[in-house]
Amino acid sequence: MIVVQNLIDAISLGSVYALAALGIGLIFSIMRLINFAHGELIMVGGFVIYALAGNPMLVMALSAIIVVTILALGMERLAFRPLRKASPPTLLIASFAVSYFVQHVILMIFGSRPMGVDFLSVLGESFEFAGLRVPRLQCIAIVVTLALMVGLVVFFRASRIGVQMRAAAEDFTMARLLGVKADRVIAVAFALSGILASFVSLYLVAQTGTVSYKMGVNMVLIAFVASVIGGMGSLTGAALGGFIVGIVSVSLQAYLPEELRPYRDAFVFLLFIAFLLWRPQGLLVRRASERV
Amino acid sequence: MKQGMWFKRMGSLAVLAAALAFGSAAQAEDPIVIGAAIAQSGGVAPYDEGPAGGMEIAIDEINAKGGLLGHPLKIVYADTKSDIAYGATAAQQVIDEGAKMVVVTCDYDYGSAAASVADGANLIAFSTCAGDPKFGPSGIGPNAFTMATGAPGQAVAMAEWAYNVKGWRKGYILKDTTIAFDATWADFFKRRWAELAGADALLGMDTFGGEDPQIASQITRIKALSDKPDFIVLASFPPGGVSAMRQIRAAGVETPLLGSESWDGDYWLEGVPNLSDMYFVTYGSMFGADPRPEVQAFMEKYKAKFGKPPVTSHSVTGYSVIEAWSKAVEKAGTFDTDKVRDVLQSFKDEKLLAGPTTFTEKEHINMQRDLLLIEVVGGKSGNIIQVVKAAQMPK
Repeated sequence: MIVVQNLIDAISLGSVYALAALGIGLIFSIMRLINFAHGELIMVGGFVIYALAGNPMLVMALSAIIVVTILALGMERLAFRPLRKASPPTLLIASFAVSYFVQHVILMIFGSRPMGVDFLSVLGESFEFAGLRVPRLQCIAIVVTLALMVGLVVFFRASRIGVQMRAAAEDFTMARLLGVKADRVIAVAFALSGILASFVSLYLVAQTGTVSYKMGVNMVLIAFVASVIGGMGSLTGAALGGFIVGIVSVSLQAYLPEELRPYRDAFVFLLFIAFLLWRPQGLLVRRASERV
Repeated sequence: MKQGMWFKRMGSLAVLAAALAFGSAAQAEDPIVIGAAIAQSGGVAPYDEGPAGGMEIAIDEINAKGGLLGHPLKIVYADTKSDIAYGATAAQQVIDEGAKMVVVTCDYDYGSAAASVADGANLIAFSTCAGDPKFGPSGIGPNAFTMATGAPGQAVAMAEWAYNVKGWRKGYILKDTTIAFDATWADFFKRRWAELAGADALLGMDTFGGEDPQIASQITRIKALSDKPDFIVLASFPPGGVSAMRQIRAAGVETPLLGSESWDGDYWLEGVPNLSDMYFVTYGSMFGADPRPEVQAFMEKYKAKFGKPPVTSHSVTGYSVIEAWSKAVEKAGTFDTDKVRDVLQSFKDEKLLAGPTTFTEKEHINMQRDLLLIEVVGGKSGNIIQVVKAAQMPK
């Protein structure tokens, strides 16, 4: 029974990692940018909820989604669009700069003391069936993640801009030659990544009950690892990678002997290094290809 | 002409005399500089803010009474920006501004670089509340002191209270692996608990990373215990520890929770709605009910000076740093570091706001010192249980 319980715990954590990894993977697949400032989108969402504490839940949640989406668009317009022709390392460094900038703005406004927030606390409670404990929030996280993933798939297959984005992800130069508007495609990608990030904010605040200016840092690192494992550039891969990281980390926490448990993360990353030696391009990318 | 000369000479003599008299008076009132190389911005800043306020209150009081050895005290700040390496620069800056002693950040990791520079310049380096036993001669140098009641002392006091007063016999420890403070805390709790209640009295020990978004598998393990624990030690701090606490309570585990000074203050309580049965030890209470009148009076003064009570009671340690140093200077009759250090090292249960304080040549941190045990009830912090003190440190 405890095996099933651990599986439930693992899938729920994996679904949130998947959501974060999708945000990273989406931007990477379109413009080869590993956006470390994605964590700050998540963090700002948390602070919107904190600043609006006491308002109806729906107001807090919708405001977080809207503000984070606008911030994502702003990042693209002000920081990444002028650098569009720059090399991937330059873009990566720029994303670090944006990340530090946003962190320090939040630090100036709210200070560095982590603050408690009462947000969706009822969802923390769990229902039990057949001896299993399923927190409502975890259930919702899984459902929401799956719904967002299905939504993305439909968007990419059925909508005009979605098809253009897939074309751009495949071969950006060719897509532009065929009349795909680069600015529009990239802006939409950032808006989508903002929406995905804001859902991670909602989950994190509901789950942890706190906000702090560093709350996005760890999440974005894990999301990055997850998208590498799944295969950079593949959205399905990013989601799959998220689930795998969640399952591996919960399993190690559950089954490592007590003396080794403090070093859980070392084992998690050791496994990933081993994995990358075996399959450097990730799970769902057929071959590692450099695009021009 | 001659007369004129004489007058002139007298006149210049008078001016000279006046200047001399004025000069010596000015010398007597030359302010003594206390250099605070602490974090005023960045991640650690909130933990230094309260103690800095405490220092300013102590300095105001000393100046109102005519200063120290006839000199008024003046505090100068240099911001470490919460950067470990920058601590050394900040310490050098206040030393260049003439600091006679240096106060450093409330943490071993963030304060030791600044303390080393001050120690190297043969100045007393006082941390307000660095709780690691390494803060002192063993980890920094002979001039480094901390006003903290160390992590081991807090953990032992808590273990003894749980065993003797509460009569609890079965415990469980959940340890955050993020910082060394909690590792030390959990370790000393475990050792003292084993001495008191026996080796089997700890039902288990588990770890989590403070940044983990969830601790579901740790909770699953607690729920699967065949024997229910009387209490769970949560060796952690906000925000990671708040997240853990929220999930523990949400999972229906209503077992009493025990913790360190990290749980002082009520800024994090919104994160665990209606939290009850949570106990922690700290320096005092800002909520107006401290059983020690001098601490209550201090909190009132803080409120009067800064318009709001301190966020945590760590502010008391800042006050006591100035208190201890000025007492030592007065007793030594000089600002000379070697002599002041000797007096500090002779402190035996010296009455300070932070509690009776003892320093020896080897130990520049207190372990067995009065702490306030506070309960969180119905989502409110500040229900004072009693003053506790570690009776016996583990072998």
